[in-house]
Amino acid sequence: MTGYNTLVKQLLDGELTLAELPPELQAEGAEALRLLAAVDRRSVTLSASFEARVMNAVRARKGGRVASPSRRMLRWITEPRELRVRVRPRLLGAGLAAAAALVLVLGGRGALSHGRGTAPRVAAAPESVLVRFVLYAPGAKQVGLAGTFNQWDQAATPLVRTGSDGVWTVTVALPAGQHQYAFVVDGRRWVTDPAAPAVDDGFGRRNSVIAVGGSRGRVL
Amino acid sequence: MRAVLAGDIERYAELVGRYRDRYARYAARMLGSADAAEDAVQDAFIRAYDQLAQCRDPDNFAGWFFLILRNRCFAERRREARIGPVADVESHPIAATERPDGMMEAKERLDALQQALLELTPDQREVFVLKHVEGLSYEEIAARIGGSVPSLKMRMHRAYDRLRERLKDRM
Repeated sequence: MTGYNTLVKQLLDGELTLAELPPELQAEGAEALRLLAAVDRRSVTLSASFEARVMNAVRARKGGRVASPSRRMLRWITEPRELRVRVRPRLLGAGLAAAAALVLVLGGRGALSHGRGTAPRVAAAPESVLVRFVLYAPGAKQVGLAGTFNQWDQAATPLVRTGSDGVWTVTVALPAGQHQYAFVVDGRRWVTDPAAPAVDDGFGRRNSVIAVGGSRGRVL
Repeated sequence: MRAVLAGDIERYAELVGRYRDRYARYAARMLGSADAAEDAVQDAFIRAYDQLAQCRDPDNFAGWFFLILRNRCFAERRREARIGPVADVESHPIAATERPDGMMEAKERLDALQQALLELTPDQREVFVLKHVEGLSYEEIAARIGGSVPSLKMRMHRAYDRLRERLKDRM
């Protein structure tokens, strides 16, 4: 089957009526109109809690203030993020090192405050960096972390719900350098981290970015 | 919007309340489900808040917000194109004005068309959604997303052909 006749496309565009089509195109025109009749034009209403969730996220932004682009960039670059932990596999068992680092990461700053996500928190070391990823997703049944560091495998790095407040976290050891990532909610919805910068990956998509410095321990 | 920029963040709730449902249908048809649309609209509002100072025309928050939401929808769909289709076609209740067999046919056609729309390119799907779901003219679509009317028509006509191919046994 080939595409529609040009006159039938004009019918679909509303530039012609079915009666204006020549007899040999009437059937094709009728078929095309059945296609348009199947279009779902019903309105979509978002959930009742939608505004509250947006406003909670907005209030949780830094100071609740709208920052200019340059100010946001400056803040992102200069704001210290976390304690640094030097992981020494030769001296400590891997499990012990991770546990110690996690304690420091968790104790580094105050309560989680972002609406849908908080900027990844970094505990930097020359070769091994522990990064804590956090997402606020109260309605999620499962959340995964996919990124360049796990070949975008959404099942490789699951987040764990920390309690009943909808906060999901995972701590990952990352090598120094820049990594791109996204959260995957319920195995199907990809969510960029609103608290982290995002970049176009060259194909029109946006990925969140974390740049892990080996010695500064900051998220850039 | 000016009040929000001046520091009164609670006034942002007015913008959210005013525009929350306005583009939800667009997002739902672009992404294939109301759940995905809600996530997208929420992300777009948060991003819009972060970037509010960049809105050059405070009197056109709606148009500016739409472009943010549009980018979000395109990013989602292109990501899915990379990893494979993940959106679910929702189950749609059908108005009980037809006989049961007719209802089934209508529902099947509706689901089949929604699935076929998801298989269009995002550019094709968008122009179809804006014209046949949102009811905009080509001129209005061009004003909203850019591009010329002839190029939008060409995109739409390719979408028609592709839909016909996908739905050849269903319509």
